Order: sequence, then structure tokens, then C-alpha cells
Amino acid sequence: MRQIKRVNCFACGKKQLSKDEIGLNKKMIGQDIKQFYCIACFAEYFDVAIEELLAKIKDFKEQGCELF
Amino acid sequence: MIYADNAATTNISDSVLEKMLPFLKEQYGNASSQYSLGVKAKRAVEQARRQVAVALGAEPSEIVFTSGGSESNSWVLSSIGNVHVITSLIEHHSVLNACRALERKGAVVTYLPVDSTGRVSLDGVKKAIRYDTKLVSIMLANNEIGTIQPIAEIGKYLRECRILFHTDAVQAVGHIPVNVEELNVDFLTASSHKFNGAKGTGILYKRKGILLPPLVFGGEQERGERAGTENVAGIVAAGYAIMESVADMFEMADKLSAFVQTTINGIRDRIPNIIVNGDENNRLPGIINIVFDGISGESLMHLLDLKKICVSTSSACLSGKGQPSHVLMALGLTERQAQSAIRISYGRYNNVDEVKTIVENICNAYGKILAAK
Repeated sequence: MRQIKRVNCFACGKKQLSKDEIGLNKKMIGQDIKQFYCIACFAEYFDVAIEELLAKIKDFKEQGCELF
Repeated sequence: MIYADNAATTNISDSVLEKMLPFLKEQYGNASSQYSLGVKAKRAVEQARRQVAVALGAEPSEIVFTSGGSESNSWVLSSIGNVHVITSLIEHHSVLNACRALERKGAVVTYLPVDSTGRVSLDGVKKAIRYDTKLVSIMLANNEIGTIQPIAEIGKYLRECRILFHTDAVQAVGHIPVNVEELNVDFLTASSHKFNGAKGTGILYKRKGILLPPLVFGGEQERGERAGTENVAGIVAAGYAIMESVADMFEMADKLSAFVQTTINGIRDRIPNIIVNGDENNRLPGIINIVFDGISGESLMHLLDLKKICVSTSSACLSGKGQPSHVLMALGLTERQAQSAIRISYGRYNNVDEVKTIVENICNAYGKILAAK
């Protein structure tokens, strides 16, 4: 996962969320969000497996989504 | 998995699959061949043609099999020369893009607006008619909101005016009664995979005596009207699927309408500010389109997908900024509202437990998305 500076996880404080993590938040919660979850906290919050989120990210990339 | 996107496509019926499979293996003959393997294939195609004709109230000779609804729509639209065509703003892209192509060739197209429920008015059609209007194309039922148009009424008027009338009935056939005589149409499009048949088989009803120049060139298949080796298995499936759909249509409509009502009531109990798009009184039984204020429909759709629930949103998003649905915009929704909508479309294989699960998951996902923002 590529790194983007200055975006931390709102829930656990994990620093420097990846572009994929930021993209996932924007795609699944909304473009206008102000706070972001790391993938682990995202999975916990929405009660889904991390593997499923990684598969989703792969799907989005294959579809050409520019958020990832 | 819970599949609630039956307006996109349907699961093929087991009995229909059983009927079509032999034509992919043991009975794989080309319907144009003269030996018995081919004759049997041809016989199966003609039986399917009769089945479709009976279901639509047409003559078998008025039914042409194509590759799908888009081909049938394109065929009718592309056959019109540099004249005036009337259609509506909420048509499927196979109609709208065919109209754009006509415009590039010099034709003039009038795109009729719809009211807030998605209905085209007969008055609107009357006012749009010009001296050179040759064709009107209005869909029978909309794929996003399910609104059913007053096709019989419009058709009656157009027949008096001697203007050709086409209806894209892809969402309607197999789900509500469709009779070409009662609808007063000259052309009607249907697609087998929308009523539990197989993908890759479309239907075009073409009123007797009306000539359409070919869209596909080649052999003399389909009485010389549509070239290309027949998709025998798909055509066989179309015949049986339409018969099955028509046989329990009213029972199925009652079931799906009840599912829709349960969905609306269940969601509204917990999210009172939803907007249900479309016409409450003139709507396909299984389709519901709902705006969820404050969230993106795409987000909700993807979160439901993670819960193994398939619903759809009409805005395709590749850049993170989806284009709002042209149908919802035509109803007068704001861009934000249009991007906050999802479509749930129930089908023959859904059950009430699935409906309850969908409601529960939508409400949970909505609350979590809002709280996370």
C-alpha cells in the first residue's frame, strides 16, 4: 500500500494511512468525510473481515476507480 | 447471498435451464441445416417463437429473436431516417444512445420530460408531434424506478395519427400483463434474462406488414430479417421462461408487491426521511428506488455487498465522483439526492426472510455511515 502523509486513524491513532485505506473510507463512507479509519478499525466498525475489504479494494482497482 | 437486483438480471429458472441444456450439447445443430439435427433445432426455435407470441398476444410471424434488448431497441431506432423522433428523458441508454446516433445523422429527436413520478403524458406526446414525426419510442416500465407508462393510451392516439410506436418493454415482460394489441404498439422489445431466461436472447415484436431494414447482414435466418446463426438454446429458454412467468404472474406480482411494502415500511420505521421514487400506483411489482438523505447510494450498496446482499445504484463511479442517474434527475431530484439512491429489485426467488434481512442491514449500514462521517 502506498503511503500518504498526515492522515491518521480516527479510532486507534494509527499514523500515515495508505492511499488504499483513505480510498476505502471515501468509497464506502463518502467523499465528504473528515475522519478516516485504518483498515483494521474499518473492519471492526462495519463488522466485516479485513480480507473482504482487501478483496473489495482489489475489485475497485480492477474497475479503474481513481480513489485507489 | 441475497440477490435483490432482479432488474439487472435474473437467475435462470431450473426447469428452463433443463429445457435449454440439450441444445448446447446433444441437440447442437444449426437451425439452418437441412439434416435432422438442424431440423430439430429449427423446430425448437419455432416452438419458442409460438410461446413468445402467445405470451405477448402476437402472431409468431411477428416475433424476431435478437441478441438482446439493446439490439432490438437499436434496430428499431436505427431504421428511422432523417426524420423526427419522439422519446423520453428516462429511456434506457440503448434507446437514448441510438437517438444520439440518429441526431448525428441529421434526424431531430424530441426528449419528453416526465412528471415527479416518472410518467410521460399523452398531452406531452401530442404537443411534440410534428409534420415529419415518424416514430415515438416510450418504455413500458422504467428500469430504475419501475414506473409504468400509459402506453395503450399513447399508442391509440399515435395509431390514429399513423405514427409508428415502439415500446421498450424489457422490464415489463414476464412481470405485468403485456399484450401488443391492447398496447397499440408497432414494435416491442423484450429480453429473456429479465424474466428468468438466459442472457443473450432478445425479442423484437414487429407488427405484421411493417418492414425494417436489417441491422445485421448475413444469411437468411429469422426469415431474412435478422442474420446470424440462431442462439437455439437461448431462444428455447426464452420460450419456456416467458410461459413460466406468465403462468404465475399475478401470484408473483402480489408476492413482490408485498415485499416492496414490507421494505418501505421497515426502513421508514427507522429512517423516516427516506424518499421513495416513482409512481406508487403505477409501478412494477418488484422494483423500489429509495433516496437515503445524507449518504451516498454507492457507499450503501458496497457495504451491503460486504454483507452478501446485492442491490444496485444507478450512478457508475470510476473516479470517486459518480454521475447521477439521468432518470432520477428527470424526476426533479437534486444531484445529491440522485446520488443517495439505491434500487432494490425483488424477483421470483426472494423470500420474506431475505426482505427482513435487507431492511435490517440497510438500516444498520445507514446509521453507521452517518455516524462515521
